[in-house]
Amino acid sequence: MNNESKVILFDGAMGTEIIKRGIEPGKIPDILNIEQPNLITEIHKAYFSAGSDICQTCTFGSTPLNLQHYNLTEKFKEINQKALDNILLARPPDRIIAGDIGPTGEFKPPVGNATLEQWYQSFYEQSKILDKYIDVWHIETMSDLDEMLTAVKAIKRISQKPIMSSMTYRKTKRGYFTIMGDSLEKCIKSLEMSEVDVIGTNCTIGSKDMIGLIEESVKITNKPLLVKPNAGLPRLDTGEKTYYDQSVEEFVEDICIMIDLGVKIVGGCCGTSPETIREIRKSIDLLYS
Amino acid sequence: MSQENIYREISAAIVELNKEKAIQMANKAIDERMNILDVIENGFAEGIRRVGELWDEGEFFLPELMMGAKIMQECLELLMPHLERGVERKTLGKVVIATIEGDIHSIGKTIVATMLRAYGFEVFDIGADVPVDKIIDTAIEKNADVIGISALLTTTMIGQKKVIEVLKEKGIADKFKVILGGAPITGEWVKECCADGYAGNAVEAVNLVKSLLSK
Repeated sequence: MNNESKVILFDGAMGTEIIKRGIEPGKIPDILNIEQPNLITEIHKAYFSAGSDICQTCTFGSTPLNLQHYNLTEKFKEINQKALDNILLARPPDRIIAGDIGPTGEFKPPVGNATLEQWYQSFYEQSKILDKYIDVWHIETMSDLDEMLTAVKAIKRISQKPIMSSMTYRKTKRGYFTIMGDSLEKCIKSLEMSEVDVIGTNCTIGSKDMIGLIEESVKITNKPLLVKPNAGLPRLDTGEKTYYDQSVEEFVEDICIMIDLGVKIVGGCCGTSPETIREIRKSIDLLYS
Repeated sequence: MSQENIYREISAAIVELNKEKAIQMANKAIDERMNILDVIENGFAEGIRRVGELWDEGEFFLPELMMGAKIMQECLELLMPHLERGVERKTLGKVVIATIEGDIHSIGKTIVATMLRAYGFEVFDIGADVPVDKIIDTAIEKNADVIGISALLTTTMIGQKKVIEVLKEKGIADKFKVILGGAPITGEWVKECCADGYAGNAVEAVNLVKSLLSK
């Protein structure tokens, strides 16, 4: 991807869209691939129709390690396979499917007891299934650089497909760091070394704070950059419906600033919707009109 | 070495996450028959309070925070049997804390529990994904002063309100202060639930509980 290449539009949130449709509290969205496959396909379709070039499988929490927290280990294969079926049904011929890989929910010591080997095995098992039909990988919302690098290694063992890797950072007085204490620079440099294709960031912070993060990132790397910020913070109104405290217009404005800074792949995380994506599509199309 | 210097060294050992040194200082306090309660309060707890502040300031991260808490815990286990008979570590109050049913996010809740302990509260951390009834039963059983309920998801936040509703139904709402925590929690939500307050981070949580119990 060179500097003249077009900006690619990713999708928006899956979880938020599922919540809008009334999922039971605490249920992992991934199980809906089996229980309500039409709903998942419908959400993918909504994003493709809104103009997403890439949509990702509903498999964020579908590593065997993470499914264990929900007593769903025995459904691991079925969930991942059904997730592929559901997105394939929604995908128009000229669009891209990303295989979505999220954190295992198990921390390494001293926070938890996870080992690199457990992580590796878990990512390997999941990517073995997804590799069949996806076009590109998106490893996202990683707060531990070691876990991210382990996922990259596991995927590379079985797949030749491009890897997009998105860490999640919190903004501190000293700059952007993962909750585990890795700096933005350390993460980007390590991801370059591990030869991922796209370096990204998603979740935790909203689009405003992500602009600052991108200003720093472009000074550190020449790799293509990806952003999927949150639309502010989730709130619950008095009717007990979730909403996010940022308007679509503000979000899209921030995305355009990040495109100007050089970001090549844009989308949204928690709180974004097909409406957000439709508005970003309009702005991107204006760039090339 | 003066007492003050010993306290300072203990506190520094915790902040530097120097387990060996912290344990050595705990043993020294025991050997020298120091007042164990003062050693805990002015040395170890002081150190962990500083660790909490460093986390809030963005200097420390999750591994440092958990490491600090673990070292403190090990030292407390060494020291506690040497407390004079009849003397207990003064507790500022009892807190039952949990992440609500349906929500498995436990990091924030664990950090708050750690800090409350460090500041001298007796904390019963009953984990994540805890049903409303279990939270209330534990609070009654432990005769808690405060119930802390964490939720990271807007879908599970409803459970925080449920706890307060059930307390009212049982006619025991005035026996406990109820505080809320989690990224999506706002002042409006606290009002909507009729809760007693919320905190954005662990240090704020400690201040909140202190001020609620001083009323």
